Amino acid sequence: MLPADCSRRLVAELRDALDACAERQRQLERNLRVSRRLLRTWEPAETPAPQPTPAPETSGEAPSPESTPSPQDLKELELLTQALEKAVRVRKGISKTGERHKALSLKSGSAAISATTASAPSRASGQASCRVSETKPPRGIQQTVVPARGLPECRLLSVGDRTRMGRGSRATKPGPGPRDQQIPPSAALQAPEAFTLKEKGADVDCWLPQPLWKPCSGLEGGSPQSAASLSTGFPDRILLRLPMAYRKAASRNSRLWAQLSSTQTSDSVDAAATAKTQFLQKMQMTSGGPGSGLSAAAVEAEVGLLRTACSLLRRRMEEVLSADPADCMQEYRCLLTLEGLQAITEQCLHRLQELRAAVAGQQLGPWPVGRRPGASLPCGGGTDPIWSPQLLLYSSTQELQTLEALRLRVAMLDQQIHLEKVLMAELLPLVGTQGPHWLALCRAVHSLLCEGGERFLTVLRDEPAD
Amino acid sequence: MGRRRRRVDRGAAVGALPEAIAALSRTLPAGPSPEIFRRAKFDRPEAAPALWQLLFRVLSPLSANGASAPPAQGEPPSTEAQVRVVKSELHSQGYPRRALAQLPEDGSQGSRELLLALAWLLARGPLLERLLAQTRVRLGDEIPLCECEALASPGPPVPRVEADGPVDIRHLQWLMGKLRFQWRKLITSQQEQCALLGKIHSYTRGCHSDRSLGHLSVAETELLRDAEGGRQDTVLGTCPPEASQPTFVPRIPEKGAGEWELVARELQALQEELRGAAEPRRAAWEARVGGWGPEWSAVQRASREAVGLELAALQRAWERGGAAAQPHGPCRLVKSDAGASGGPGLRAAQVIEVLRSREACLEAVLCQLQRQCRQELARLAGALPGLIWILPPGR
Repeated sequence: MLPADCSRRLVAELRDALDACAERQRQLERNLRVSRRLLRTWEPAETPAPQPTPAPETSGEAPSPESTPSPQDLKELELLTQALEKAVRVRKGISKTGERHKALSLKSGSAAISATTASAPSRASGQASCRVSETKPPRGIQQTVVPARGLPECRLLSVGDRTRMGRGSRATKPGPGPRDQQIPPSAALQAPEAFTLKEKGADVDCWLPQPLWKPCSGLEGGSPQSAASLSTGFPDRILLRLPMAYRKAASRNSRLWAQLSSTQTSDSVDAAATAKTQFLQKMQMTSGGPGSGLSAAAVEAEVGLLRTACSLLRRRMEEVLSADPADCMQEYRCLLTLEGLQAITEQCLHRLQELRAAVAGQQLGPWPVGRRPGASLPCGGGTDPIWSPQLLLYSSTQELQTLEALRLRVAMLDQQIHLEKVLMAELLPLVGTQGPHWLALCRAVHSLLCEGGERFLTVLRDEPAD
Repeated sequence: MGRRRRRVDRGAAVGALPEAIAALSRTLPAGPSPEIFRRAKFDRPEAAPALWQLLFRVLSPLSANGASAPPAQGEPPSTEAQVRVVKSELHSQGYPRRALAQLPEDGSQGSRELLLALAWLLARGPLLERLLAQTRVRLGDEIPLCECEALASPGPPVPRVEADGPVDIRHLQWLMGKLRFQWRKLITSQQEQCALLGKIHSYTRGCHSDRSLGHLSVAETELLRDAEGGRQDTVLGTCPPEASQPTFVPRIPEKGAGEWELVARELQALQEELRGAAEPRRAAWEARVGGWGPEWSAVQRASREAVGLELAALQRAWERGGAAAQPHGPCRLVKSDAGASGGPGLRAAQVIEVLRSREACLEAVLCQLQRQCRQELARLAGALPGLIWILPPGR
């Protein structure tokens, strides 16, 4: 058994470490929950009222990732995907200028559509309900193109979704009947169907689709004639776009931050700075006693720096000691380096004593002796607040995983080193004094301190054979 | 010219003061009304509690250099507690005036002194900007590069039953094992989160209005999802405040006298080792070189200079903090193919390199500590004969 005060301190340290880890875990789980939710199907909040068959439609066609599509579906999907990709390649090759035309025609298209659908009852304005079904030429699945009212928002749908939704809608909307490229404004406008983020096929930017387009011949053929018809607006995909209100707020926000950071560098800053320093000096002078000029925070920061210094010096020392000097010159340099390091270490020790004296002197006085909850920061406090976060670009998931794993490893090592030092300080003296169960203690301490608690040594009593 | 400008400025300044105070009261957390400021100027006692509270709100998260502390559980601390915290925090930051320390703890007096303290804080550093940076909504998926911000936030104080009595060392071993297991769990969860994040980033490619970002972050995607579900009306209502908190790092516990001791002991140990290494070498060198001629002295001088420069560079490495070169603060994660070399922002590959070197450094430190322990234990154990110590395999 360990002595009481030692136990208390060590248990507190380890519990602190566990709490810190648990806190990280909690935050991580929160983020995981959020991310998982986003990658699942986005179920709409309420089913719309005035729809003929909204509920079965939404539930029926909710393409949850859990339900496995039938092999036939998969094959159809495959075919359709390939056809789309081919068409996209063709279109890319043909018209780059088509972009502009598309955008213009898109606007006119959407304006036309909104006009026609303006009369239809729509959902709450916050909701963007826009659905696009892809025609599948052999099946004749209806396409319904309904852009949202007012806001140019749409959904990102993959081929799979569209197919399934289209089929579902075909099945459950007997009223409108089979259609080709017409727009059934009333039917699908309000239906908030479930939606899933999916992987993109080809990398193409596209905007709202045209209401009318020629699907069939264009897909199969790839002939110049069909290509021309394709260029009138092949609705590959629809892009999610953030709501206008958000975008406005975000751009205003970044503009204001930029303004704020720019005012820092103007001339009035100098006048303000001098005024500030004068004020601070006056404060210092009117204060009661002579300040040592060092706040506890600054002292702590310096102690932290000295700790860093110690490890850097030690590292250099080990480098020198492990190097094998080849000739006299190098030997001499090694010697000089060691002596120089020794001198610097003495300076550091001296500085440490100075700091300690300064703090001890400051403790006197009417101030409450409280412990600061903050820790000294290795990064050196007083850095400017970050105006807008920098970007960190990563190229693949593996890279991101490596990055995060390394970050965690560094944090873990930091913690381990701290614990190691604390344990050393508390446990080694105990081993020095022989007590009952000394062997067991020795063995446990060895495992904790030297193996990180992972391995144990064995102790054998060397009995002389009689 | 100067004098005239100063007069004009003062006139403009006086006129601008009410506006500034109004803006200040809006910006500060728990901001008191401008009326409170005016009363405080005349040292009215009724203004004191509001100012104590303001200083408490401003200082308690700031005690960790700008990291945002999670909101305190339960009811806010009592006035006495607030007063104590404010006093100790101001003192540790170096507030010069002793009058503050002498104010009564019930928080009923001293509004003018508190006003001075607030002015002092505002004058010393970018207080408002720091507060704003703390409370800003994090839109991107942020990853803190240096641990300082996270280190500083101590997290909610967990009510813990302290081990009062003596504890068996096996309990410590158990706690260590638990800790190791927690870290392993953490690492796997983190990998999963990275995979999900990568998916979300690539699926929403092209959806962001800001071309340099290119894709949505988790917060923004959530905003979209909830907006489309008609669940949220306001833009800000959708921004989840905890979506991307700076990740929490093991808190370095309060530095008491223990920290001094540790550093002092380390430095002393280092000094001993250096002396033990340098002295014999010097002696051997002197013995060898004793009779060498003057042409040697030029070479010696050159060596001395070179070594001096090296050591100066080494000293600069920690004096400047070293982290000046390193990026500081949280970064927004952006997935971009082909690593465009021209664009702004850090590359993950660079950060990985830095982290790897830091990892190697820390591993070296840990190994050295363990080696030290092993030697010490061997020394202590060697005192007892008649035992065979079999070290564990895998060394």
